[in-house]
Amino acid sequence: MAALGKVSRLLLGAAAPRSLPGRSMSAAAHEGGGARLWKMLTFVVALPGVAVCMLNCYLKGQQEHERPEFIPYSHLRIRTKRFPWGDGVKTLFHNPHVNALPTGYED
Amino acid sequence: MAHQAHSFHMVDPSPWPLFGAIAALLTTSGLTMWFHLNSPYLLMLGLLTTTLVMLQWWRDVVREGTFQGHHTPMVQKGLRYGMILFITSEVFFFLGFFWAFFHSSLTPTPELGGQWPPTGIKPLNPLEVPLLNTAVLLASGITVTWAHHSITEANRKQAIHALTMTILLGLYFTALQTMEYHETPFSIADSVYGSTFFIATGFHGLHVIIGSSFLLICLLRLIKYHFTPNHHFGFEAAAWYWHFVDVIWLFLYMTIYWWGS
Repeated sequence: MAALGKVSRLLLGAAAPRSLPGRSMSAAAHEGGGARLWKMLTFVVALPGVAVCMLNCYLKGQQEHERPEFIPYSHLRIRTKRFPWGDGVKTLFHNPHVNALPTGYED
Repeated sequence: MAHQAHSFHMVDPSPWPLFGAIAALLTTSGLTMWFHLNSPYLLMLGLLTTTLVMLQWWRDVVREGTFQGHHTPMVQKGLRYGMILFITSEVFFFLGFFWAFFHSSLTPTPELGGQWPPTGIKPLNPLEVPLLNTAVLLASGITVTWAHHSITEANRKQAIHALTMTILLGLYFTALQTMEYHETPFSIADSVYGSTFFIATGFHGLHVIIGSSFLLICLLRLIKYHFTPNHHFGFEAAAWYWHFVDVIWLFLYMTIYWWGS
């Protein structure tokens, strides 16, 4: 419980100078050069993090995804009202390879 | 040549509030015409007028603040309150959709097979593209902070670079989500799972597009020297909105993508 109070005071304390409209950035000596810190974080943490995740997605995407067999469940592929585009049966982002119509896969 | 004995902004008469209301009416009734009577024209007119009102109203705000000097510290304070209140209202907007998601997923009905995800639904792997999307938005939060500090420290070149990177990351997120939408094996019509998934992530995606557009306007204004190291509230508002969009994504990721899989 005491730790919770400490943490929230820390967060509020950290938040306060940042929420002031730029004044503390130029005034407080230890905050001077804040742009340098965030530039460093961008190129050392942020962008490499994105690159690692991109690599992960690329490698996972190489594996073949099997398409599940079509079972006409009544809670799926609901068509209470026709969609106001096309033939009214396909959803907006319909992909014939992975999305089945209420009657089954198209291909 | 102002002749006022106060620091507030008495705005000149403007047609935009009325035209905005008309545009909202055209848009909503246009949606009805499209959904129920198969005609998209009223909706197209509504969206067009909404866009025109937004462009002209906000152009006027920029003129009043940047060129006519009406945005005194008091006026700026009011604008800050306004943006905070608006973002708060948006938080409540998303709260509703999170409520719907938890209502449906915590006690899945027999119609869904008594389980979550429902029978027959194969959810997306949270460690693939959704994780990349998380990294992209977190990175954009770092770059927009870099941009803010650069503006405060009057470093024009770095500010432009950082803000550009932020916008590119935002566009990358949108592209990734669009691709994901095309590749998911489940659709919006696949039980309440599909409904809650696509409504929540769909509205979030719309807000990413709005936020990216706001940041793009800020980039154009930054290039045109509208901001000073001490007065750049338009940028701050865009940055706040962008952080809000990021936080909403984090909640979406943790609840719908991760817990809900």
